[in-house]
Amino acid sequence: MPGTFRFLDDIALADMAFDAEGDSLPGLFNAATEALLASLADPTSVAQTWRQVIDMEEPDIPTLLFEWLGRLVHLKDAQSVVFHRVDLSIRHNPESSTWQLHADVIGAPVDPATQELRSDVKGVTKHLYAVTQDATGWKARVVLDV
Amino acid sequence: MESESGIGRMKLQTDMQVNRISDYIWEIPSSEKPGMLVPARIYASAAILAAMDRGVFDQVTNVACLPGIHRYALCMPDGHWGYGFPIGGVAAFAPEDGVISPGGVGYDINCGMRLIRTDLSLSEVRPKLELLMTELFRRVPAGVGSRGFVNLTRRDFRDVMKQGAAWCIAKGYGWDEDLERIEERGCLQGADPSHVTDYAVERGINQLGTLGSGNHYLEVQVLSDKGLFDRATAAAMGLTGHDQVVIMVHCGSRGFGHQVASDYLKVFEKAMRRYGISVKDQQLACAPFRSPEGQDYFAAMNCAANTAFANRQVITHQIREAFEAVFGESALRLGMHLVYDVAHNIAKVERYPDGEWLVHRKGATRAFGPGNPELPNCYRAIGQPVICGGSMETGSYLLVGTDRATQDTFGSTMHGSGRTMSRAQAKRTIRGDQLQRDMKQRGILVKAVSMSGLAEEAGFAYKNISDVVETVDRAGIAKKVAELKPIGNIKG
Repeated sequence: MPGTFRFLDDIALADMAFDAEGDSLPGLFNAATEALLASLADPTSVAQTWRQVIDMEEPDIPTLLFEWLGRLVHLKDAQSVVFHRVDLSIRHNPESSTWQLHADVIGAPVDPATQELRSDVKGVTKHLYAVTQDATGWKARVVLDV
Repeated sequence: MESESGIGRMKLQTDMQVNRISDYIWEIPSSEKPGMLVPARIYASAAILAAMDRGVFDQVTNVACLPGIHRYALCMPDGHWGYGFPIGGVAAFAPEDGVISPGGVGYDINCGMRLIRTDLSLSEVRPKLELLMTELFRRVPAGVGSRGFVNLTRRDFRDVMKQGAAWCIAKGYGWDEDLERIEERGCLQGADPSHVTDYAVERGINQLGTLGSGNHYLEVQVLSDKGLFDRATAAAMGLTGHDQVVIMVHCGSRGFGHQVASDYLKVFEKAMRRYGISVKDQQLACAPFRSPEGQDYFAAMNCAANTAFANRQVITHQIREAFEAVFGESALRLGMHLVYDVAHNIAKVERYPDGEWLVHRKGATRAFGPGNPELPNCYRAIGQPVICGGSMETGSYLLVGTDRATQDTFGSTMHGSGRTMSRAQAKRTIRGDQLQRDMKQRGILVKAVSMSGLAEEAGFAYKNISDVVETVDRAGIAKKVAELKPIGNIKG
């Protein structure tokens, strides 16, 4: 379920923005996650010495993606880590009418000597935030505050 | 869309009518957008106005629609697109029936500037500059996920939220005299940690004394005789020129402040429905100031503001220790007194000749004029120091507040230079390591955690700060005192 992302110029002059898309929901979430990870540090420069499992539940897809990306930013600060990769799955719970995310987050404590660190993203914003679905799959636009 | 209406043949990034009030004040009438309660005023030279992005016009007029807004929605000449309010946005609201909006404060609550003087001259510092910058870089953590050296318990962190810079000084991270030279003595009243989420505390508890990244920096600068515009006022701040070395710090409440803002944006989105408030932009989510939600945010915002004052105070301690280590003298003997510390992302209740107002400043600096009772004795005769950071290549300015600012702009003026180029475009234009080498050749030593982050902050990505300073000086909403040129910079 691959997804793609691209950073956008001139959407947020002082900050960062990206479009992510996937042919499925996991594809979209994977693409948006990869964009955020790449904003913080080059994931290939980050070892795999730290791991955390995250479970989240939200009433709709846009809220789930927004809160998920925000959780990664929070983890970065609270645990002083950057990320190598995330393995995630998404499922709909018909009983509670909610969307659930299960993620295995893998990375390492921040180490400027060995990692290519990039922007210290402060948060995910609602500016121009959108998650849409069409015949080709799912798309999201995200603006990050740096 | 470009407009030629109202101002002759000048082309603007808006189709709204923009009327010339003076050479440096432009007004968008309240008839230009449905829902505007007051006109919007932009402080700018004609050239700066013409270069302003469309977001400024859209956003300042959105602000003019917020309930309880008083007189004008304002934008300073360093204004550009922001979240909700434009950067450079200023608005005052009636405390009794107006609103408070996190979008009018900014995510980085109490992002601000601090300036420290020294008795050292460039000739004394230049031979040791490499060592000094290495020592500063080692002692002041910067960049992604950095942690401070102060280990705080949750109880300690609650005390930091309530006491701000005073907590640091009580713990030995500063001098008693520092407090007098910090806006509100480094502690906003009304901070109540019970209104801050555990989630925000988890994010901020390890970050005291860290610089962050983006446009935040610690800079060693030089004040030459040529850079002095007002010798008497500068002297009152301990600044005498003769290639005097000073240190400027730009940072705020880090991830903690951002989390407080994010938490309350969610609260306000729901509260707006309850109070029947609609806004033009989701990022302008707000609540009546006197409502429970408004008061809770204000209490939490003050907590974040106080941690920002504390953050800059701990960084000041680290700077003093770095200078002591490199120059073998005590910071006191090196004359490392604080010049001033001032917020540029904040909301405060302030008293003006026409009443008491809740003033939001988002990328704008308080600029109280001489005689203001809020100012400490040392600055009451000259007015409040206004510290404006430029790009790391071009330099920064020190100004003072004026009576005109108090009368016309709710005691507010510019805060910096303002970006004109996206981060992505800046990175495509120059590599960080190339910029670092170029700056070294020009006598500016840069230490950076992230080379891509460094490239994003290249001087060409910003407006010319001198043009912005001239605008506020000529508009009378601040008076320029000194220009400070960089010789060393620490970036996240």
